Amino acid sequence: MTGYIIRRLIAVPFMMLGISLILFLLLYIRPGSAAFAAVASIGDADPGSFERFEERFGLNRPWYEQYGDWLLGAFRGDLGETLTPPHDGVTGQILERLPNTIEVGLLTIFIAAVFGISVGVLSAVKRNSLLDYSLRTITIAGISIPNFWIAVLFVTLPAIWWEWTPFAFRWVSFTENPFDNLAIVIWPAVTLALASAAGTARLVRTSMLEVLYSDYVRTARAKGLRERGVILGHVFRNSLIPVITLIGLQTGAVLGGVVIAELIFGIPGLGRLTLDAVLAQDYPLVLGSIMMFSLVFILVTLIVDVLYSVVDPRIRY
Amino acid sequence: MAQEQTSAPAAPISEAALALEYAIPPRQRFNLLSWARREPFGAVGLLLIIIVSFSAAAAPILNTANPTQFGVGGSLESPSLDHWFGTGPRGKDLWSRVLYGGRISLKIGVATVLVGTLAGTVIALLSAYAGGGVDFVVGRLADMIIAIPGILLALTLYSAVGQDLPDLPGLSRGEFTLVIAISAFFLPGTYRIMRGMVLELRESQYVESAQVVGASNIRIMWRHIAPNMFGLMIVVTSISLPAAILTEASLSFLGLGVETGTPSWGADLSGSSRQFFVRAPWLAIFPGLALSITVFGFNIFGDSLRDTLDPRLRGRI
Repeated sequence: MTGYIIRRLIAVPFMMLGISLILFLLLYIRPGSAAFAAVASIGDADPGSFERFEERFGLNRPWYEQYGDWLLGAFRGDLGETLTPPHDGVTGQILERLPNTIEVGLLTIFIAAVFGISVGVLSAVKRNSLLDYSLRTITIAGISIPNFWIAVLFVTLPAIWWEWTPFAFRWVSFTENPFDNLAIVIWPAVTLALASAAGTARLVRTSMLEVLYSDYVRTARAKGLRERGVILGHVFRNSLIPVITLIGLQTGAVLGGVVIAELIFGIPGLGRLTLDAVLAQDYPLVLGSIMMFSLVFILVTLIVDVLYSVVDPRIRY
Repeated sequence: MAQEQTSAPAAPISEAALALEYAIPPRQRFNLLSWARREPFGAVGLLLIIIVSFSAAAAPILNTANPTQFGVGGSLESPSLDHWFGTGPRGKDLWSRVLYGGRISLKIGVATVLVGTLAGTVIALLSAYAGGGVDFVVGRLADMIIAIPGILLALTLYSAVGQDLPDLPGLSRGEFTLVIAISAFFLPGTYRIMRGMVLELRESQYVESAQVVGASNIRIMWRHIAPNMFGLMIVVTSISLPAAILTEASLSFLGLGVETGTPSWGADLSGSSRQFFVRAPWLAIFPGLALSITVFGFNIFGDSLRDTLDPRLRGRI
């Protein structure tokens, strides 16, 4: 077990190295365009400024030199400077925004897991009842409705019905005032959690039903265990295994959704930073923030795999 | 249960039957009505898909105005007999825009999933067959790409290839970029599923028999393995399609979609039109509703198609 975790941890830097190379090649190989786009976005019409810009950021050198430099910096925790003024350090910008995104993400995964698992268990225990059919229809609808539409409706409908917008306050950070902060962050989290919860509920239902008809559940009933004990002690725990994988996979969708939710609800997070960087074609910033997203995702996947063996002692790495 | 008992004690399992286990099942007469009775959700999904596809295809006949023309009605008129879904801030007819928006969604969705599934299958076949180092490298590459959260990968690709692609017949530059960006999202996942299938099939008896007879690798891949992957390909395609449509809409919502002004459900819910939603809620309702219904239809149809074609896949994809 410990050996497995160590091996997986050793793989992480190699994964990040590979991802950085892929992203770097994708973003930098377009000759000259980075500087051009950046200069154009500043609105500087002086013809010499293009060359000066390239010179300043080393964009006129071959890609492998640029990548080598970037890599050397990355080892020291320096991800370069942003192309857009005021040319701050990429690392600083990312670290400033990261906590907000992690807060939204954790809250989302928590809400999604609680609702998804409860609805799934309810659906499976009361299978083929009216409740089950309604819940199943709602969950399929849940995975079909785009999160940005839900977010738009969250913002629009209360304003029409009660002339009240849930998010129309100034951004408050967690350290400033935790309660006000949660009152803002809960909205994007609920929005993003809906789809994940629906997906989780569907899987919990399917996998509970599979376990419900297995031999050991029949045995548990036969030895006189109460239905409650059967469901909680035998069925629930065993049907949780695929669900843990799904929640891990959904982290990817949640991290992508954060981009949208942060835009609509005005959260100064990493998703917003990435989107702005993509729109401004600020390549060092795009590279840095997507690397950060990938790192978070890789670590979550690692934790999920370890949790796996905790829930299912049969799994040995 | 009853079926099992009547057929199980019959003749010893023949070699041919074993080989058939993974082969295409014998062709049965497909009866749409009895399928609809068995899979009511799937039938509803199929009906929705037909309605949506028909409206998109017949948009030039069903529309009441040019979707991109300003001032066909007054500004922000509520739904009426003249303008069934109301009008936008500059008098564009929303009903016509929603009709044409379906064209983009379906076109990008279908093209993306075709590219993603075909490329994923071909890469899986080749790398699983090449084995050794090639298989290892392709596998690790897939691991890395999967570690980049989907929307963010699409964002990166969008900014990387954005301006370099040519206009294809029937596919504008913006649409082509979307197809590339979104299919990269599905490629590694499809590759993993397909590779598992190739490895499974390669161990089957009929492939072994073909090898004994002296068939070449290419012949085995093309004549024996590829045809048996067709069912899985259809399932993967139908399951990925709604996700592809949602991704297109999300990217368009973020302002990275097709050219501005083109009717698209995602784009119509975003950007400058958002400030009018409180005054003109129909602008927020109809495009989102059309998108949700489409994705809902594809989701429930895809699920029941999977259960019909290959119930073993339930819970796996």
